[in-house]
Amino acid sequence: MRIGIDVGGTHTDAVLMNGMEIICAHKALTSSDVRQGIIEALDQVITEGRVDATAIEAVMIGTTQFTNAVIERKQLSPTAIIRACLPTGSGIPPLCDWPTDIASALGNHGYMIRGGYMFDGRQISPIDETSLDEAITDIVHSGVKSIAVSAAFSPANNAHELKIASRLRQRIPDANISMSHEIGRLGILERENAALLNASLGELARKVVSNMETALAERGLRCPFYVSQNDGTLMSAQFIARYPALTFSSGPTNSLRGAALLSGMQDALVVDIGGTTLDVGVLANGFPRESNSHIKVGGVRTNFRMPDILSIGLGGGSLIADEGASVGPKSVGHRLVEEALVFGGSTLTATDIAVANGSVSVGQPSRVQTLDRAAVERATHRIHRMIDEAIDKMRPNDAPVPVILVGGGAILVSRELETASRVIVPDHADVANAIGAAMAQVGGEVEQLVSFSRHSRDRVLADMTREAQAKAVAAGAEGKTLRVLDIEETSVSYMDGDAARIRIKVVGDLRHSP
Amino acid sequence: MKTIGAEHIKDLCTGAAFLATGGGGDPYVSQLLAERILHQIGPAQLISPEDLPDDTFVVSIGMVGAPTVTLEQLPTVDEAIGALNRYEAVTGKQIDAVIPFEVGGGNSTIPPFVAAMKGIPCVDGDGMGRALPEAQMMTFPIYGAKPTPAVIMDAFGSSELLECADAISFEKEIRAKAVAMGGMVTSVEHGMTGALVKRSAIPHTLSFATRLGALLRQHDGNIDAIEPELFALFNASDYGVIKRLFTGKVIDSRRKIVGGYDIGTATLQSFDDSNRRMEILIKNEYLVASIDGRTVASVPDLICILEQETARPLNAERMRYGQRLAVFGIGCTHHYRTAQALSVTQPRAFGFDIDYIPIEEIDFP
Repeated sequence: MRIGIDVGGTHTDAVLMNGMEIICAHKALTSSDVRQGIIEALDQVITEGRVDATAIEAVMIGTTQFTNAVIERKQLSPTAIIRACLPTGSGIPPLCDWPTDIASALGNHGYMIRGGYMFDGRQISPIDETSLDEAITDIVHSGVKSIAVSAAFSPANNAHELKIASRLRQRIPDANISMSHEIGRLGILERENAALLNASLGELARKVVSNMETALAERGLRCPFYVSQNDGTLMSAQFIARYPALTFSSGPTNSLRGAALLSGMQDALVVDIGGTTLDVGVLANGFPRESNSHIKVGGVRTNFRMPDILSIGLGGGSLIADEGASVGPKSVGHRLVEEALVFGGSTLTATDIAVANGSVSVGQPSRVQTLDRAAVERATHRIHRMIDEAIDKMRPNDAPVPVILVGGGAILVSRELETASRVIVPDHADVANAIGAAMAQVGGEVEQLVSFSRHSRDRVLADMTREAQAKAVAAGAEGKTLRVLDIEETSVSYMDGDAARIRIKVVGDLRHSP
Repeated sequence: MKTIGAEHIKDLCTGAAFLATGGGGDPYVSQLLAERILHQIGPAQLISPEDLPDDTFVVSIGMVGAPTVTLEQLPTVDEAIGALNRYEAVTGKQIDAVIPFEVGGGNSTIPPFVAAMKGIPCVDGDGMGRALPEAQMMTFPIYGAKPTPAVIMDAFGSSELLECADAISFEKEIRAKAVAMGGMVTSVEHGMTGALVKRSAIPHTLSFATRLGALLRQHDGNIDAIEPELFALFNASDYGVIKRLFTGKVIDSRRKIVGGYDIGTATLQSFDDSNRRMEILIKNEYLVASIDGRTVASVPDLICILEQETARPLNAERMRYGQRLAVFGIGCTHHYRTAQALSVTQPRAFGFDIDYIPIEEIDFP
């Protein structure tokens, strides 16, 4: 049996699962003491599920703690960055596009040295050993222990980053090092920013891991625990301390993965309607479709792979105005239960419209019976058109798509959606995040800029797939269950000879602990 | 505008992205570089072509190569200034001013900062008034400037002197050299007298793009609110004509690479009439737009696209199903209206079997 826990900004959800079967689920407000919150969630599901602690094989945790640390600029460690790129890149030094408050939180310790690679595999320059030693000496004097390392084209060739990291370890044995090729993809500025954020979270990550370990031990759980990542796969406890930044968008990812598992759908759109906003994400092959654009985390431009999510201002608490012609984006939010008409308040909300048109019965329906029928009809129509438009913007083409509806605001949908081939409202949708965490798989990924003029496309793909599989197994996947999830091929314009950027991702089930 | 400084660069880049007609790459890194340098050393003097003395010596400068390479090989501080200095050393000529060859996209920011570094003026104008993929499509060679001698320099400070018979052989040569030198080079080319700049450059495009960018960021990105001022801005400029060609959503977008070029077709469906379709042919840039089979705008006239909800210019690489777009057709300046100019920039020059009809001659409801 597995336990999945999702620590969100507002709620902490937990589920106990036996295979695909949900034994029990629990939802509570997130407490400021995350460790205590996790212990309480564990207690709830273990007690309610009447299982022995020894029957739990694994605990999977999704957490927003690292994202919050970046947004609030709290608990970030002073962090240095060594970039091997010169003579290229001197015009755009590390940290130059960061908001000043977070750059100062990290301390502005940026160094550039000669090194890195070109698109065709040649070195820009060998590593400049003298400058490297000088930079490290400077870092030693500053007392900084968290260090990010980047090099031009390191996703294609990581040798220079490895060399810098090994030199750092020799001279600063307790250094916490983040190499950019392990964190991000092509685009050195954004990848380096990602590595910097990751390194700055290392100390906090060690604390979080140790808190989680204590929480589990206190409840007699000796099983391994995992943390869910942006891409919907898991990392084991020993990896979290090294890659905390890979959890940045695990919340929406777990929600999408949970919706997939609850509905049994692999390819669908997921519409999550809350009190204030509606989020649409896309499931392709059971995993979230990833955004192609740069994503800012706490004002820092990164290229983490994160799910492509469209948010619009429509939820259960959305204000209705103009005789029903205008819905949202303003909302009463969490004050819905006091301010909506049906709950005794004086504000006309989308929930009141859903009650007035008879699609749901909550609160005191009599309080909305006197509303103008035409206005109720206009608002109902408007709400459905807004949802249709959001789905339309996210679907891959104009064919109707299956839509999985989750979240408390799902009651707003009472009529047919033009964009949907069918609408599925699964049971337990309120704890989809925790279920997504509990059932997450393990993945491996490789990205390279390749030229098919040297090797055939088939051979390049086969080599890269093997490399991705090896990475997945190293991360804890069961070899037999591996499958290729995605091959992304982008041609490169203005270059000779069939150059392309290829990314291969494989996933598999978690290997059972021996 | 008499000077161009760090505070103008963001607006310039937004305007340049609009004029890039879907091409020109992501200007983010160019923007950062120009802002940093201009912030450190102060603004560059901006001079209108008509104010240039006839005997001034002006060169065009910008970057040439594969945008993908710059994802990893970020620009140096000294490549652009190094290329200018090398040009002077190799040709023995003193450079009095620089001019962009392409206002559309990231290449609009290089001449302002390199001018500030060298302490010479930057000419307010360029050789395209938009973005176009090849050197022979610039107004400079069309009106008699020779592309070479040209000096290209890479990030290592290695340089090459190019001597080519004409713009077409220059285009071939510089592409091949760019790949051999690591994928991206800075090019100093098209040395001209002030008199030739007056004849061949499209004037005032840097200040125009800066005003345009500032305008696109007003009214919270509400296109309908921006449109009257946008039309007034273009109508009063050398572009002259602007029309809203279409408002609708992308219902299909296909792309492939042929011969090193990104070729695509996008289909849009009108919001007003779901049977009405616009098709856009894309080869790095948006080149031909037709509605229900009838051409409504074609290169060298400009087809510029804004995302409807944000009024942000849309790069062709980011186009995908479901986007809500406003498509504008804009007349090219008189520089592109001659038979000689059209022979290298009309749709046939890109391999499309379509006649160029000036946008103002196309009846449009």
